[in-house]
Amino acid sequence: MSASVLRDPAEDQSAAQALVPVPRHNKRRDPVAVAMTVFGVLVFCFLFLPILVIFIYSFNTGRLLAAWEGFGFDAYINAAANQVIRGSVMTSLQAALGTAVLSTILGTMGGLALARATYKAKWAAILTGLLALTLVTPEIVDAISILPWFVSLGTDFGFTPINNGMVRLVVAHTVMSIAVVTFIVRARMQGTDMTLEEAAADLYATPWNRFFQITLPIAAPGILAGALMSFTLSLDNTTVSSFVQVPGNTPWPVYIFSSLKVSLRPEIAAVSTIMLLLTLVALAVVALVLRRFGESSTDIAKTIAGA
Amino acid sequence: MRKISRRGAGVAALSFPSWAYLVFFFIIPVGLVLWYSFGYKPDLFTAHSNATLSLDRYFEAMDPTFLSTFINTLQIAGLGTLICLLIGIPFAYWMAVKVPAKWRGLLVALVLVPFWTNFLVRTLGWQIMLAPEGFVSEALQNIGLIGGPIEILYTRAAVQLGVVYNYLPLMILPLFVSLDRAGVSLREASADLGANRVRTMLQVTLPLAAPGIISGCLLVFIPLMGDYITASVLGGAQGNMVGQLVANQFNSAQNWALGSAMAVMLMVFILLTVAIVGAVYLIVRAILRFNRRVLIEEPAS
Repeated sequence: MSASVLRDPAEDQSAAQALVPVPRHNKRRDPVAVAMTVFGVLVFCFLFLPILVIFIYSFNTGRLLAAWEGFGFDAYINAAANQVIRGSVMTSLQAALGTAVLSTILGTMGGLALARATYKAKWAAILTGLLALTLVTPEIVDAISILPWFVSLGTDFGFTPINNGMVRLVVAHTVMSIAVVTFIVRARMQGTDMTLEEAAADLYATPWNRFFQITLPIAAPGILAGALMSFTLSLDNTTVSSFVQVPGNTPWPVYIFSSLKVSLRPEIAAVSTIMLLLTLVALAVVALVLRRFGESSTDIAKTIAGA
Repeated sequence: MRKISRRGAGVAALSFPSWAYLVFFFIIPVGLVLWYSFGYKPDLFTAHSNATLSLDRYFEAMDPTFLSTFINTLQIAGLGTLICLLIGIPFAYWMAVKVPAKWRGLLVALVLVPFWTNFLVRTLGWQIMLAPEGFVSEALQNIGLIGGPIEILYTRAAVQLGVVYNYLPLMILPLFVSLDRAGVSLREASADLGANRVRTMLQVTLPLAAPGIISGCLLVFIPLMGDYITASVLGGAQGNMVGQLVANQFNSAQNWALGSAMAVMLMVFILLTVAIVGAVYLIVRAILRFNRRVLIEEPAS
């Protein structure tokens, strides 16, 4: 869906228009513009309110997350000392890394193939439809369908690696992020024409060199954005993880989800705050890398969003 | 000619790993769920059997509990999408048009921050705020706005608020992209030709944003229909959603056949919605294009 928007022919124009400064409304103090700014700021407050609450409550010294007692760093210290929390965060990070690697490899190949497919290639249309189908499938359907399949693969078919909790998480998360990576890479490659690759071929570059010296550098921003996206999707995933997880390999969101039924402790807010900060640092790094590729800030944000 | 077809085959081969992966870990599992939905639960200790095939589970799934939950979910999803759209359009318009271009990247990044925060954790933030003994409740009581503690947590209203919050960024982004791409010149042209603000909005800006509106609505509505987390955190008995019913059949009731039938119905419903929205969009666009074919030409790239 989001990728189809990208093929708008107006795309080439927006970059040019962004350069033309048209601050017409700023000079007149237009009441509508003022009202819109107020509205915009309010929406931002709405968007940040719960995150701010979690941040503040991570300094709660009480035993329960929601009952504020006093300010302190107890939650951070307790979280760092808690073996189970450390283990589940590590599980999440490992699963996210594995998902990012696997879905980036599959998605890059698929995205390059789709971008280079001839206009009427039937396989490309079916693959696009199939990927779109994985996007519109509700997570809960993914979850309940893949669990019995994992169980029968592991027991009936004797495919034992699937009984490993980490393998299960990576495989299941990749199903959901492969489409995102594929569409981002396809969108990136559709903007570029094939003449560079053809020129390289004419200059006797081997297919191998052509791929690593021409195709891959062009696709790099898309691949990077896709990898980041799949990493975060995996890190964020609760529904599917809670179904396919094996005891001993409980990822962090599932840990939170199960403590929801028992008691929520401030450690959860503390670890979430740290993870958000790490995510933001990672995003900033990616934005810097993309800037070196010469993208505008709006383009960077759009690439990161996968839109 | 031969060279081209060989290239085509090479390109198709590049997509083979994706094919294999999707067939093995998406088509087969979902196909199995379809197959399970024709089976039954033989006894208390067995989760599933397909020994006799029937459509009975679909009729069983149509019981009043499921139907009322389904309608509940549909209302939450429909209203949620509508509220997201009503907040999203002016907000995205503000970001794409009113804000100076140099700030836009930063603002988009800010919209994305909630998106990068764990879904469950964001929802927990609301749970803290909506709690009857929470600080919001106390503050409202102290300034005398309400008489007693707020009673919104574990109701449908809380779920509604939670889903609007959780899916709003997914609505804003496509809207922003389509409005940003539409550019300023067509709106200026409309103003130069004597159209007032409302007319420019209705006849130029919104039609240009239509693809963004459609994809935003789908991006919000589809995951919302299958949402399982928000309702589990914020909704009590009143805020039940279909996702929880399906999950319960697999988690606690151990009735795979019934759960599968519910899942299939959910999925068919979502696919139908997508198909209908797509068809309506194409028809409306075709009619509009035919009526106004002089007005807007596709810009030559």
